[in-house]
Amino acid sequence: MTSDKTPTERTAGALVRPFLSGPSDGAGGADGAGGADGARGSRGADDRADAPVPDGALRPFLLTAGRVAGQDSIAIETQVVTTDSGRTAVDQLGFERRDIVSLCGNPLSVAEIAAQLSLHLGVVRVLVGDLSADGHLSVYLPNADASTDVDTLLRVIRGLRAIG
Amino acid sequence: MVSAQSAEVGGPTRRRPPLPVKLVIAGGFGVGKTTTVGSISEISPLTTEADMTSAAAGIDDASQVPGKRTTTVAMDFGCITIDESLKLYLFGTPGQDRFGFMWDDLAIGAIGALVIVDSRRLDDCYPAVDYFERLGLPFVVAVNRFDGAVAHDLPSIRWALAVDDAVPLITFDARDKLSVRDALLVVLDRALAKARAAQTER
Repeated sequence: MTSDKTPTERTAGALVRPFLSGPSDGAGGADGAGGADGARGSRGADDRADAPVPDGALRPFLLTAGRVAGQDSIAIETQVVTTDSGRTAVDQLGFERRDIVSLCGNPLSVAEIAAQLSLHLGVVRVLVGDLSADGHLSVYLPNADASTDVDTLLRVIRGLRAIG
Repeated sequence: MVSAQSAEVGGPTRRRPPLPVKLVIAGGFGVGKTTTVGSISEISPLTTEADMTSAAAGIDDASQVPGKRTTTVAMDFGCITIDESLKLYLFGTPGQDRFGFMWDDLAIGAIGALVIVDSRRLDDCYPAVDYFERLGLPFVVAVNRFDGAVAHDLPSIRWALAVDDAVPLITFDARDKLSVRDALLVVLDRALAKARAAQTER
């Protein structure tokens, strides 16, 4: 699907990723036209935005406009929570972005987001980075020293021993 | 899905998330990684897709420039809430056949690793053992007692794996929660010993 960064610019052109804007289908009509067309490759003439896209038809990084890098600091266990701004903006966000913001009312790890939304981990990283930059999500980067901290390890040991 | 029922007051930090720590569950295909995660995780193991860089290893080693490629693999994981401010994640590495794996995503920042071994297919775990040795991550080799039987005695397995005497070698039952817990505790003991040693060095 597609997801527009600027909800106010809902023109057909703005919805089409740069590398998807091959044969223009004209008006586009509704949200999602760009992504749906892109998934069908050269058959861009179909402008039925609501037509279901079969599973696996989208290459994962179409959702991020092809960006794969830049969010290396977001580890898979990184905790993500929706902010007040995110809750307010949720209805204006498109598709995957809206799903992520809706899902993270309670803290979730990046890995859990990816699993629950059936999204590629790398895609979630990029989208979470974007949403965080826009102020819609708070991202709590894990403390890199926690895994070698004696007190933290003792807490984990106590917690595991309590499992019975 | 949306759980916005709690009070809409306070800053974005009012639901401060727990500190996440992670442990890697590694091993070859079908050794019981997902079973292990599922036995102790408080959520059913989740699966996500991720990219992994693999380097041709073993048979292809003759070439001086090992071929690298990125593959998308499915990865299982689960979690255990230690207390309200600490959560332990268990990440299962995807099974890799004859490819050495370089899953820095999983291993960097991890407490340690449990390398699960099927005693009938010992060589499946070589890449994992190599990897954690090289990374210096505390790890434990755990032989999964699938059917109550282990094909070789532990000293023979240790000899075959050529792991250092300091690396614990244990047997466990991936289907049994307490057995998994005890195996994880052995990893934690290793990690704690290493952390304490590092602390006294300072």
